[in-house]
Amino acid sequence: MKIGVFICHCGENISSTVDCPRVADVCRTYTGVEYSVDYKYMCSDPGQNLIKDAIHKYNLDAIVVGSCSPHMHERTFRNAAVSAGINPFMVEIANLREHCSWVHDNIEAATRKAIELMRMAIEKVKRDKPLTKIKVPITKRVLVIGGGIAGIQAALDTANAGYEVVLVEKEPSIGGHMSQLSETFPTLDCSQCILTPRMVEVHQHPKIKLMTYSEVERVEGFIGNFKVTIKKKARHINEDKCSGCGMCITKCPIKKKAYNSFEEDLAFRPAVYVPFPQAIPNIPVIDETVCTYYKTGKCGMCVKVCDREAIDFGQKDTIHVADVGAIIVATGFKLYNIDKKSADSKYKGYGEYGYGKYRDVIDGLQFERIASASGPTSGEIKRPSDGRVPKKIAFIQCVGSRDDSKGISYCSKICCMYTAKQAMLYRHKVHDGEAYIFYMDIRAGGKMYEEFVRRAIEEDKVKYIRGRVSRIYEEDGKYIVKGEDTLAGMPVEIDADMVVLATAMIPQDGAESLARTIGIPYDKYGFFNEAHPKLRPVESTTAGVFLAGACQSPKDIPESVSMASAAASKAIILFANDTLEREPVVAKVNEDICAGCFYCMKVCPFGAVEVKDVKDINGIVYKEVAYINQGVCQGCGTCTATCLSKSIELAGFNNEEIFAEIAAL
Amino acid sequence: MKELIKHARELLENGEVAAVIGYRQVSAKRTKPVIITDPEETSALVFNEYCLNNLAVYLTKARIKLLCKKNDKVLKLAITAKPCDVHSIVALIQENQIDRDTIHIISFNCHGVAKDFGFDFNGDNLASKCITCETHKPLYYDALFGEVKETPQASDTALARIKEIESMPHNERFEFFKSEFDKCIKCYACRAVCPLCYCQRCITDKTIPCWIETSSHQRGNFAWNVIRAFHLSGRCTGCGECDRACPADIPLSLINRKMSMEAKNLFSFVSGRSLETPTLVGSYNEKDNNELFM
Repeated sequence: MKIGVFICHCGENISSTVDCPRVADVCRTYTGVEYSVDYKYMCSDPGQNLIKDAIHKYNLDAIVVGSCSPHMHERTFRNAAVSAGINPFMVEIANLREHCSWVHDNIEAATRKAIELMRMAIEKVKRDKPLTKIKVPITKRVLVIGGGIAGIQAALDTANAGYEVVLVEKEPSIGGHMSQLSETFPTLDCSQCILTPRMVEVHQHPKIKLMTYSEVERVEGFIGNFKVTIKKKARHINEDKCSGCGMCITKCPIKKKAYNSFEEDLAFRPAVYVPFPQAIPNIPVIDETVCTYYKTGKCGMCVKVCDREAIDFGQKDTIHVADVGAIIVATGFKLYNIDKKSADSKYKGYGEYGYGKYRDVIDGLQFERIASASGPTSGEIKRPSDGRVPKKIAFIQCVGSRDDSKGISYCSKICCMYTAKQAMLYRHKVHDGEAYIFYMDIRAGGKMYEEFVRRAIEEDKVKYIRGRVSRIYEEDGKYIVKGEDTLAGMPVEIDADMVVLATAMIPQDGAESLARTIGIPYDKYGFFNEAHPKLRPVESTTAGVFLAGACQSPKDIPESVSMASAAASKAIILFANDTLEREPVVAKVNEDICAGCFYCMKVCPFGAVEVKDVKDINGIVYKEVAYINQGVCQGCGTCTATCLSKSIELAGFNNEEIFAEIAAL
Repeated sequence: MKELIKHARELLENGEVAAVIGYRQVSAKRTKPVIITDPEETSALVFNEYCLNNLAVYLTKARIKLLCKKNDKVLKLAITAKPCDVHSIVALIQENQIDRDTIHIISFNCHGVAKDFGFDFNGDNLASKCITCETHKPLYYDALFGEVKETPQASDTALARIKEIESMPHNERFEFFKSEFDKCIKCYACRAVCPLCYCQRCITDKTIPCWIETSSHQRGNFAWNVIRAFHLSGRCTGCGECDRACPADIPLSLINRKMSMEAKNLFSFVSGRSLETPTLVGSYNEKDNNELFM
């Protein structure tokens, strides 16, 4: 075998601490090394040409490049090798930058280490085998999880590209949080007015199969070939028969037993309901927990008034299976529970703000409903407790966010903007009202955002106070907001009629369990992790699973929408080919010696391991062994390390190659 | 004993099981494993303080599995197992080596066994594992025999020895193990008797590349004994058969027990005690001790 060695100076990144010419000279003396050279920038065009020319001139079979991390330029050098006729997997990278020059300052020692690293890579390349990419067929259908604005956008974009979409939403209607908002910053256009046309479009789109009141139960398979099990919860209404006339809702005698979660518990809803008038689909749901029929077996008022005979008390949850090639996760966010009795045991509440105790201390979404023309007060700003118009409102930002002591360190990003908007809306509706905003910093990065905040301050006379609020208590029908004005350096007290808390955004309920179902990683808060924070922001680390919207981190509407379109385009890019090329760095089981303990199956983070029956000559199963699905395997090597009998080999990193590397050290 | 024989005989006569794996007496203080397929031979079966072997090791053997294949049917296999041997069976079921439905467990109320053949059964000669044993009644069984008796009292010398080794300075401890492992002749008796060493090809038999030097060189001795201990960490049920089988008297069960103590301290896990608890290797819990991560 003829090996070529190429040592890169990386400008001065490597050569300032590693004597590159000496490394090249030493490498030249190793058995099998036909050619060895150093160069200032091996990744540059002249550098790559140096490699290609050497391959031709010296008839090389394999090359070793001593350069930066393989994460950076492995692909560059492999492609160069391919264009010169060498298999891309006959290329080894020794990381002389991150693993050597950047972390050492002694030139002599670093050079010796670089030589050792090169020697290991040379020993490994001698045992490398040419590998060919794996081809997998693709099912050209997308599953979108979550029917908020991100899910809607992703579904529409993919469907408009001509691919089928299955859109799964756990609530009875799509629309998500955006359908609850009053007006949107920085343009103050009505949220529902811009959203509902999109919702209708989803409903009418021939390529979109909408599954509301449904949840993803199981995800099997791999990129291009996922098999998804979806549970469609019983609505107790026959969707085919229901015309959406709403008679059952009007006549339902249960009026005040269940809070209306769409109205953020500021109103009640009947036992049979649609979340809001523009709901898609406009088919009600019967809430078993409050419906009299499920308690006593009597009532049945809805049955009497329904002329379509659509009420079906006996309806059961149904299970549906969908084959999809890509998954877009857009499960969104929820607001952190502020009160002490917080259901999110992970975080501490804000008992000191009296949320849950004082009815006029509300959160941002509740204010949205109060300000919304379709809300419980028909858009008039009124206190939930007595319906009086508040003359003074205190808005408090960063409730939960940026507060290590309560458990959330991140900035929820949208609160500065929506608080400014809410204060502005309030000032527009209550001309003699005063709006105070307690803030830590104003973060208004975004097109027209800073201008919007300035407008709130300058035109709408919203009073900004920089400081945190320590306590809120009631006194003579007023809420005394005690805080500090850190710019003036003095304590402040506001006697507000109403307090709005801009609470932190946290991942939607069940985000973590969904992540485990799909097999995607999440951070300590439960936000899904992107594959690369800068260069792969809409992909998860699981191939074929993309992220959109606030399930990845706090986001406003335009960001969610652009991310959704990006995720959709990722799916469309995937579908541009009929088969999928996968890196051949995958694990393979030696079936002859596999003992079938299936520890590999237990540790595989990607669900790539299956049970395979091994049959004798008569077709009778005589043992079970592990089988690794090459389409799913990500080549992480966990199974290889776990296998007690060393029956699993990872292509490109097999036992022999690793052993040779260690032995060369 | 009569009940045991009667039960085994019935199983075979009714065709419920293909074979009964049990013990037969060879002298006053010695038994041997026996695999019985003929109902007439069941009279040889015994159970007493000298039934030392962990018969679970036979369950994974291909030739024994073959016995169960009658025409197209797969018959059950009956095994006489001490309560501690049942732990091994549980571990084997959890590792997919045997199916609970195909194993008929005949177990006993156990009050301990002798440390080896030929010794009188009393507190001084009690097997080390019996001193701290908490399962005198098997956790899983299909038939249970034997009367409940008191286990002789004995002091836990093995634990004292572990504490002693733990307290040694680093280099002294290394020297201790070096001298112990130096005795290893690579006969692999420890592997042969271990019910959990069921791999068709052990890593030590892997030659390309040769991870473990097979000669009785110090490097290979260390590699073998350390890998053996690691491969059994969180899996070993503490039957102690390796210790009894080792012709060089390497204190293998001390190592195994130390590893089991670690598993218990760090993850509250004891191998082979429950079919419902996931195995230590291959299961993940957010509450797991994460201090081991750097």
